[in-house]
Amino acid sequence: MSEILRLPAEALYKPELDALIENEMNPVPAGWKMSPKSVLTYICGGKAGKTEITPKYMGDKRLVEICIATLLTDRALLLIGEPGTAKSWLSEHLAAAINGKSSQVIQGTAGTTEEQIRYSWNYAMLLAQGPSFNSLVKSPVYTAMETGTICRFEEISRCASEVQDALISILSEKRISIPELSEEVPAQKGFTIIATANTRDKGVNEMSSALKRRFNIVVLPTPADIDTEIDIVTTRVKQLSSGFGLNAEIPDRSTVERVVTIFRELRAGQTLDGQQKLKPTTGVLSSAEEISLLVNSMALAGSFGSGKVTDAELAAALQGAIVKDDAKDKAAWTEYLENVMRKRGKAFAGLYAECTERNG
Amino acid sequence: MAHCFGVRHFSPACAFYVGEFLERVKPKLVLIEGPSDLSGLIEQFCVKEAVLPAAILAYTEQPPVRTVLYPFAEFSPEYRAILWARKNGAEVRFCDLPSGCALEYYARQNAPENEPDPEERESVYERIEQMTGLDNDTFWEYNFEQAESLDELLDAVREYGKGLREFSPDDEHNALREAYMRKVIHEAEQTVPTEKIAVITGAFHTGGLDGVAFSEEDARLTENILAQKSLSTLMPYSYYRLSRRSGYGAGSRAPGFYEILWNNRLCGKQQAAAEYLARIAEGQRKRGFSASSAEVIEALRLAETLAEMRGGKQPSLADLRDAAVTCMGHGSFGEISVSCADIEIGAKIGSLPEGSISTSVQQDFLRQLSELKLDRYRTATAEELKLDLRENLRVKSEKSAFLDLNRSFLLHRLRVLDIGFGVLQNNVSDNEHTEIWQLRWSPECEIRLVEASLIGGDTIEQACALRLAELLYSAESLPVAAKVLGDAFLCGITGTVKTAVLAVQKLAVDCVSAADCGKTIGTLSAIIRFGSLRRLDTEPLLELLQQLFLRFCLSLMGESVCDENAAHELMSAISAVNDAALSHTELSEERLLRLLTELADSDMASPLLSGFACAVLTDRGKLPSEKLSELISRRLSKGTPPAEGALWFEGLAAKNRRALIARLSLWEKLCSFIAELSDEEFKPALVCLRRTFSVFSPSEKADIAENIGEVLGISAQTAAEIIAAPMTDEERETISGLDDFDFDEI
Repeated sequence: MSEILRLPAEALYKPELDALIENEMNPVPAGWKMSPKSVLTYICGGKAGKTEITPKYMGDKRLVEICIATLLTDRALLLIGEPGTAKSWLSEHLAAAINGKSSQVIQGTAGTTEEQIRYSWNYAMLLAQGPSFNSLVKSPVYTAMETGTICRFEEISRCASEVQDALISILSEKRISIPELSEEVPAQKGFTIIATANTRDKGVNEMSSALKRRFNIVVLPTPADIDTEIDIVTTRVKQLSSGFGLNAEIPDRSTVERVVTIFRELRAGQTLDGQQKLKPTTGVLSSAEEISLLVNSMALAGSFGSGKVTDAELAAALQGAIVKDDAKDKAAWTEYLENVMRKRGKAFAGLYAECTERNG
Repeated sequence: MAHCFGVRHFSPACAFYVGEFLERVKPKLVLIEGPSDLSGLIEQFCVKEAVLPAAILAYTEQPPVRTVLYPFAEFSPEYRAILWARKNGAEVRFCDLPSGCALEYYARQNAPENEPDPEERESVYERIEQMTGLDNDTFWEYNFEQAESLDELLDAVREYGKGLREFSPDDEHNALREAYMRKVIHEAEQTVPTEKIAVITGAFHTGGLDGVAFSEEDARLTENILAQKSLSTLMPYSYYRLSRRSGYGAGSRAPGFYEILWNNRLCGKQQAAAEYLARIAEGQRKRGFSASSAEVIEALRLAETLAEMRGGKQPSLADLRDAAVTCMGHGSFGEISVSCADIEIGAKIGSLPEGSISTSVQQDFLRQLSELKLDRYRTATAEELKLDLRENLRVKSEKSAFLDLNRSFLLHRLRVLDIGFGVLQNNVSDNEHTEIWQLRWSPECEIRLVEASLIGGDTIEQACALRLAELLYSAESLPVAAKVLGDAFLCGITGTVKTAVLAVQKLAVDCVSAADCGKTIGTLSAIIRFGSLRRLDTEPLLELLQQLFLRFCLSLMGESVCDENAAHELMSAISAVNDAALSHTELSEERLLRLLTELADSDMASPLLSGFACAVLTDRGKLPSEKLSELISRRLSKGTPPAEGALWFEGLAAKNRRALIARLSLWEKLCSFIAELSDEEFKPALVCLRRTFSVFSPSEKADIAENIGEVLGISAQTAAEIIAAPMTDEERETISGLDDFDFDEI
């Protein structure tokens, strides 16, 4: 076992990548390690020779096709979605499959500067030798252009708009100019950018339409059906709780199903059968929240309760997850409880009683 | 042998190459898949005034009305074959089972949708999808629609037909149809040399016709085919109906897009993809979104890459749409959905010369008129008809007992369809069991009936249900949707009620205004109360009512902090909800009373609403006397701004005035409140007070005067004398001085 907390995708799935490259049958585009079809197989699962390829992204295959086709043209790719919809995950695996390297990343924050996107200087060398390529500190974008590979840009909408706009000339002219050296570095074939952005951040630093135009935008949805989501949640809860040693039983399928049902319905703004529209709440209700909600309930039950997650723990966790400090959330939750949960019958009766009491 | 050409209905490629095929074969007789008894209608397609899309409609003479439709568009291979035959002097006939047999078949299937092909065929397409990874439409487009020569297409389609037959389960009806077609071909061969016959059918059937001889077994099968008596007509069709595939399994999901393909074929260009994307961009610009040429170019590149990845020569519709979503819709289909619908489906409607149309809806209208004894009203002079909706207990049969009710249903349906035959004269809610209609027939009504047939549906009832569904779909506000719901009840179309309830519920979630909510509760409550008269199930409404009620209760407190105008609207909403709560025990009275108590005590809410809440609670006997006194003292005390005090009093007096008049302490408080006002304060208060008392009756006013007299220490008798005494000059002068008082100045 490696002591590293988290390995990059290309190290974790090396055997699969090698098998795909070995069994390649289709033409490989310039700068790519494998053909677009093989990239699709790597992401969505399948077979390469005798090696089983595990699916990395469980969702609409068509969206992955569009992503790959975008990267085949010289356009940049922008993945947009709610928090917890596997945007970064997908971008990491795309880069790993196409370049065999997913570590050229810029993390967008409010403090990201233009230098981090273009280049900066090693000031000691700059003072000693004057401006030269030796004293240049290259950004991941610079390196990607030089090597004709993919650069990932995480949470692009979190950077200031001025900083984002540094990308415009890079993406349209495909070259980076260094006025200090009177030089221009052209991008090699294969260079492109995969950016991710969060829909909840809309309006924080709205991307300029000039920049948006240079991206093909793919919106990643939340899990398409309830069974997939239950599977995702159950698997992750198991993994997490064994790591933490929580002294509590893993919640059974019906518990997970109830939580996932409530989340899906509030998120979609309608009941699962589509028969009734609901008022959605303001908070983020992704699979990641479901997982942390269940793990928290387990921690509560294990430390202070019977060791089994009961309706009381669930109700407390639900209240916290759904009703943020907004009176509207509370009204929406009351409406949901009265109009939907109360009529669900036995399976939900206990939970309904606990939730109503808590919500007041 | 006869020459067979298998086609896909509505395929531009097939339509384009069918001419070349016929040119090569040079037939004397062209046989086309279509009801053989209706070959006479072919002529009508080809008249100068006819504009496609149009359809052959066959329907049963007797109710229940069943219909079968054979639609054609400009780019139908069958239609192009007809045109070729007429131009080149060849005879052209239909060769499929007569329409009556098809109707009989569907009657036995009892299918709600008259799918010509059994449902199993769908699963064949699913298997194609599993095998190729492409959906059926994309599969067709890549492999057939993009064919570049007749021979390429013929080969491909032959394989396709074979594959379809291989994977389809045996089906009696299809076997019968093919046996019949073989019979028709066999008979034709008696007069026309077999190599001079061309047969144009669906690709599926070529395998059963090409090179298969007419046999003894076929003769036995086709000897006695069950058939229903049927009528037929040609009717205008629309792209919208084609795209819905209603009444015809092999419709076209995107007739608008196929027309683009067809036009490109005609002028020998290959720019369909660019045209589609450019038109989406145009649509986006028209709707106020930005869509640059650069985006169109990027979308085209992406679509071509997508097609290449999946093995197509040209982008399919799915590729184009996905590319448009990515490049022009910023990743979300919603942003371009309207433009997509416009271009993929299109709004084209066919037309046919007047007088040549006689649809099942028209027939249904005539039949219902005679059944409901309304025949004599079908004149150009307006006549009045009074309906009593209650059950007529003096007659025996159920039909005549509810004659008037059924008449009302029909007339309301015609009203919804805008036929213009009857106009309702009275307001339905005024008098729940009488309706007065004015009936008048005009030629326009006939035209509108044909238009109503175009909406879809075989009968008036179905057409009306579809129209209501359409209205619901486009309804954007709660009151509009609630009105459609009401109409569905008036028309007696219970099927629509469910969808309407859903639509109202959906809008209610988006609509945050408690005033609208309350109004709708009032409407629904009325429908439920009078529902039994129309013998309809009001159960689904009750649930909706409960939900709206809950929403109202949750949002009222927040919204009651508002200005005077809004407060007046909310006041009538509260009143409607209160009435509804009184007549439906399903609504939680406790929740409402708790809410009103809170409202009555709130100093934040509009004083008008607080006052009104007090009034409702007092009326229901739910406000303890001491509490009321306490509230009156607080509201009319020195600390409260006078305008607010007066407004509060207005709310309080808006309900159950008698109980107020009897409450002496109230008048005592009010007197001292007014007496303590300064001149400046008095004026704004006066506006509200005047408005409040303007709705009191004279006798009520006299009683109030007596009360005030008592407060001022004047006995009832003296007060009455003063009031009844003739006016002195001095008093008259004071009053006429008041006439100059200008309320606008305040």
